Amino acid sequence: MTESCEVAIVGAGPAGISAACILADQGVETVVLERGEFPGSKNISGGVLYGHDLAGIIPDFARQDCPIERNIVESRVWYASDEGGFSLAYRDAIFKEERRLNVFTVGRARFDRWFARQAEKKGALVVCGTLATDLLRNKAGRLGGVRTDRELGDLKARVILLADGINSPLAAKTGFRPDPAPEHVALAVKEIIELPEEIISERFNVSDEDGVSIEILGSVTRGMNGVGALYTNKKSLSLVIGGNLRDFAELKLKPYELIEEFKAHPMVASLIKDGVPREYMAHWLPEGGYEHVPRLFGDGYLIAGDSGMLFNALHREGSNMAMVSGKLAAETILQALKKDDFSEESLSIYQEKLKESFVLKDLKKYRRFPGFLRKHREIFTDLPLSLSMAARDMLTVDGVDKKTKQSRSWKMIKSKTPLLRLARLLFNAWRSVK
Amino acid sequence: MHIVCCLKQVPDTADVKIDSQTNTLIREGVESIMNPYDLVAVETAVRLKEKHECLISAVCMGPAQAESILRQALSLGVDKGILLSDRAFAGADTLATSYTLAQAVSMLDRQHQVDLIICGKQAIDGDTAQTGPGLATRLGFALLTYITGLESFKPSQRKIIVRRKVEEGQEVLEVNLPALITVELDLARPRRASLPGLMKSLRRKIEVWDKNAIEADAEQLGIKGSPTWVRRIGVPSPRAGGPTFNAAEGLQDAVDRSLDILFQDFFTADEPGVAEGEEHGKKFQGN
Amino acid sequence: MAKNSKGIETAEIIADKCIACQICIAECPVGAIELSPEGTARVLPEVCIGCGECAEVCPVEAVAFDKAGRKKFKKAEKPGPRIPVPGRVVAVYIEHNGQKAADVSWELLGKGRELADKLQARLAALVPGSEINGLYSRVQNIGCDEFHVLEHKSLYRYVSSLYGHALSAMVRRVEPEILLLGATSQGRDLAGVVATHLKTGLTADCTGLDIEEDSGLMLMTRPTFGGNIMATIFCENHRPQMATVRPKVFPMPVFSERECKVIRHDWSPPDDARIPELIDFIEDTTRAGVDITQYPVLIVAGKGACSPDSFPMLEELAGLLGGTVACSRPVVEAGIMPYERQVGQTGKTVAPRLYIGVGVSGAVQHRVAIQGAERILAVNTDPNAPIFQVADAGIVGDYTQVLPELISRIKERKKSRHD
Repeated sequence: MTESCEVAIVGAGPAGISAACILADQGVETVVLERGEFPGSKNISGGVLYGHDLAGIIPDFARQDCPIERNIVESRVWYASDEGGFSLAYRDAIFKEERRLNVFTVGRARFDRWFARQAEKKGALVVCGTLATDLLRNKAGRLGGVRTDRELGDLKARVILLADGINSPLAAKTGFRPDPAPEHVALAVKEIIELPEEIISERFNVSDEDGVSIEILGSVTRGMNGVGALYTNKKSLSLVIGGNLRDFAELKLKPYELIEEFKAHPMVASLIKDGVPREYMAHWLPEGGYEHVPRLFGDGYLIAGDSGMLFNALHREGSNMAMVSGKLAAETILQALKKDDFSEESLSIYQEKLKESFVLKDLKKYRRFPGFLRKHREIFTDLPLSLSMAARDMLTVDGVDKKTKQSRSWKMIKSKTPLLRLARLLFNAWRSVK
Repeated sequence: MHIVCCLKQVPDTADVKIDSQTNTLIREGVESIMNPYDLVAVETAVRLKEKHECLISAVCMGPAQAESILRQALSLGVDKGILLSDRAFAGADTLATSYTLAQAVSMLDRQHQVDLIICGKQAIDGDTAQTGPGLATRLGFALLTYITGLESFKPSQRKIIVRRKVEEGQEVLEVNLPALITVELDLARPRRASLPGLMKSLRRKIEVWDKNAIEADAEQLGIKGSPTWVRRIGVPSPRAGGPTFNAAEGLQDAVDRSLDILFQDFFTADEPGVAEGEEHGKKFQGN
Repeated sequence: MAKNSKGIETAEIIADKCIACQICIAECPVGAIELSPEGTARVLPEVCIGCGECAEVCPVEAVAFDKAGRKKFKKAEKPGPRIPVPGRVVAVYIEHNGQKAADVSWELLGKGRELADKLQARLAALVPGSEINGLYSRVQNIGCDEFHVLEHKSLYRYVSSLYGHALSAMVRRVEPEILLLGATSQGRDLAGVVATHLKTGLTADCTGLDIEEDSGLMLMTRPTFGGNIMATIFCENHRPQMATVRPKVFPMPVFSERECKVIRHDWSPPDDARIPELIDFIEDTTRAGVDITQYPVLIVAGKGACSPDSFPMLEELAGLLGGTVACSRPVVEAGIMPYERQVGQTGKTVAPRLYIGVGVSGAVQHRVAIQGAERILAVNTDPNAPIFQVADAGIVGDYTQVLPELISRIKERKKSRHD
């Protein structure tokens, strides 16, 4: 007896579950295979979600007991040097009321479980603790199902959605997606630091429901092409820092050392003071950008989320791209089911849908950005230090006139980063995000 | 043959930690699982079913989310899962729990005569090992605790032969059914569900029985039927520690100073001799 | 504190503190508390009537409730506290093999004496069995006022149903306030049967027993949640108050001579008793001589010394001190030592005169099981290992260097003392 279904989805992350919700809602027999003991057990992200994208799948999510940590009302960007840094913050009351839950934080373990439960409520079967080990092909060579590591573990399906993340053993085995090169992968480490709810609210000057997100660039990544972040949860802070995998290897950096240094940064240390570290985890992120998005469809299968390298490195957007791509894949499958045609050609409308959506538009817009960061390493090394020195000099009251200080600073910056290079940096920066 | 397995959902205590500063449980990341001993009970029943014609029912008393462990039991080959869930069951100690389970087993017995009840030796959260003996006593079943092996099962003669762990070794016992056995972890290694088994279990509805369904006397249920109460909870009282010496700063010195502390009055007497307990034990033997 | 739409100040559960004992769920008169999917209690604010009952009964203070705004809710009067009545009985079940009593029964007699004195009660030993002459000939040395014997040939070996029936019969006649049993495999089995026969409360595996002064109730403390939490439990309205206690939790008592009355009881087994037939007995040879609880010195190998190579060293140290080698859980899990040698919540509770932990980090589960040790020495490379918090002395360093030094220094000391 072989189990069968209409759609088999590999991976119960945001991409897989989004697709399962849409499909099951339309009465399509959907089975989600998840290798973790429960949905979310193997999932890691910064923990920031976007209301608009979630509402596209569960319109009334806020009324469905969605486990939201804090509603983000203020976004900060820091450009950090070793002993301090620049901070830019934007807060808007509109995010407190009218556009509430535009951006919010979640704990992935709780959120993913809740999300999977929504899919189950709609009729999808979420099969946990089950690893997809291979893809089944029919005589014609077309995909016809998934093999799992359980006894009698073959699952036949008319179409398969691969949403098993960047670190996919299935991809490695079947080659449906090329293994990403180290320079197209980031290694991110995350630590959850527990603090009392009222202390978090006080330190970030928010109410108990609201929170702040901080993205941190500069020397905190020790010269690696990378970024750090700090997000507020209800009773904890999420600290994330990551860098390019190749850089990690070249610099022989240990991820936990990186996050320990990050925690000791004066601007971070004061925010996490007296907190108790609760969880430490590490994860890969796809950051090859537009140029390295693989072919996302083929005869009998589609790819969504991190597995398809759909990740915006600049805005650290992964979960939302996963949700939207999962949703679009599901819509494609619904159309294919109607036509009863799962050929590559029939499924190619997925690519069109992605192109029309912000997913590929944003990736395309920022396609030069990863290259830009690779080229201009000084963003993570000399530049933050020089700028900080300049600011320090400018802000120190010592009787020296401002004009002297200006020229002194300018000289110092130029000595580290020649003018021509600085100009090229600015031009390339503009070009990579225009 | 009708076998009933009694299951409990427990927090994975290996994960439970306590915050020594705030004196509270750290719940983050602590999973609810089927009590590992109960998983062995299920495995034992399923193995019997593979050899003999059996119906296996699983009962679990707990809140709605305990349904997941019944589903797990179904995925492994249990035929029927019953969740005993009612506000009135809440706060039960072992006496009230064994009453509730006894009522449920009696109901199952009416549908199909119950021959064997298999329980885990104990639950890893409470570690009491009382519910099995209590249930057997209430039902008048033969009670066999700490079972490490199932030697033979003779449905036609209504007999079972088991191996039971006691302090000095293992007893091999034969008993007439109906009986209740509580199983040790080393009795059987639980299997992994097959994919069809797992998928089937996810599609199944779990029957929920409330206090009326088991025709229970409300006075004997839950907190009302529980003679014991938790009065307070705290962390284990700390033992005051002494100094720590760093071997890197002088190994011999560290060892010497440690020995001075340890043996300051310890070795003033002669060699550490026999434990005092043995002496008393001897005295108690009488003449 | 939040108000609901009816303007009632509702109770709130502090999820971090909640241990999901569900007492509040049962006690809430209006059914306003349920278990959330996260496994903690939660209050449905619109149903809550603000009576504060949940805050009263919560054992861990996990209910936030403003008492000032409390709405009175009438509740059936509970019987008042019991005042100790002189002439009552504290009873201890004596586990024996006809010749010798288990050590734990001794330990319980010691504790029982203390509880009986506090209650101005008599201490009674309850001894069912067959042919137990050897046991009661020296009864004046066991701290008891009464020695109750129930002899019957059917009790020649332990059978749950027969012993359960016999002990229940004795308890019905003696009517003790308190009944203590050892938490051995026999004691735990028997206690469950007897408590069910008598329909009374039973607290298993206690590590502390005391009498509450005002009420005269026995307070029973036991580890729960894998030893992470100590719960104090009481049994208010049912008698006897039953507890089982692990071996080695209480010290061996030394009694002075005391007049003790021997009382014999008649009994006949129930007709419908289901008696398993003993068809074979396989003696456990692997256990021979390695009851780690019996050694005055234990050298305990932990995860940090989880290697067969460490053994000769550990053995030598143990031999030198008249002790034996034991281990923590990871060593058993790695298959290096048998379960019988495991110290810890899931292994054995030990109370040696000297405990030497080698590479033992000292997780709570391990620490609770060595609390009774007279002296503790810890050797670990990690200066932050929790074991150092409870050790009388600690050495931070690699055991492969520390142990040889330790061995040679102890040898020297022994030698100098003998000279």
